[in-house]
Amino acid sequence: MGNAMSASFAPECTDLKQEYDNCFNQWYSEKFLKGLSMENECSKQWYAYTTCVEAALVKQGIKPALDEARKEAPFEKGGESADSDASK
Amino acid sequence: MVLWYQNSHTFNNDFRTVSLAFFNRYPNPYASHVLSIDTLSRELSPAGDLCTTRLIKKTGKLPQWVKPFLGRISESWIIEMSEVDVRNQVLRTYTRNLDHTRIIQVEEFTTYNFDKKSGKTQASSTVKFSSGFNVGIRSRIEQWSHSKFDENVKRSRMGMAFVMERLEQHRQAWS
Repeated sequence: MGNAMSASFAPECTDLKQEYDNCFNQWYSEKFLKGLSMENECSKQWYAYTTCVEAALVKQGIKPALDEARKEAPFEKGGESADSDASK
Repeated sequence: MVLWYQNSHTFNNDFRTVSLAFFNRYPNPYASHVLSIDTLSRELSPAGDLCTTRLIKKTGKLPQWVKPFLGRISESWIIEMSEVDVRNQVLRTYTRNLDHTRIIQVEEFTTYNFDKKSGKTQASSTVKFSSGFNVGIRSRIEQWSHSKFDENVKRSRMGMAFVMERLEQHRQAWS
């Protein structure tokens, strides 16, 4: 996945994001999916990336709406009611 | 008012390829309106599911008739939540827009199920459009959301197929 990686909304975080994404892709496909690791092994890259993103997010107007949305548990409620409501 | 659409599709790919493509679906040539995607949290649940929350930023492609209400909106934010159940080879995803929700809120649930027998992955989507608008404008929203849904579903599948092909090429190059 070396090429064509996507950007972070905060340009200063894009390099850190790509390092993290590379590590995650490797861990996900070579370990997690094979049941070889139940521990996220990219904590170093994650810490650097998430610190950058959190600092940039504070300056975004979307932060309050995002914080609200993050409290939702769509798979517990919405997914099932979505299916049953949809058939009406 | 609330509108629902459902759709399903079969990818001729295994769970590894489909789920990896989901996490890496941007950028692709069919999603040029997606500006960025960031992971906000990622953890393993006690049951061993991989739970991810991401934030997506898109350039606004709103229909002409909402412009009087919104003025010049050029961007919108989407939250995406996903769960990978690796034992059952299931990926559940949810997205919804975070802003302009008074005008229209679009929620999408998609479940990707791998079928061992066929070696294929079935994707089933349910999309819910909700709007605070009254009945007068309903048919326009209905028309717009329906054509938007068809177009989006088609484009997101083409995007996934493109990313999967790229992944397969990488895999061949590695081995």
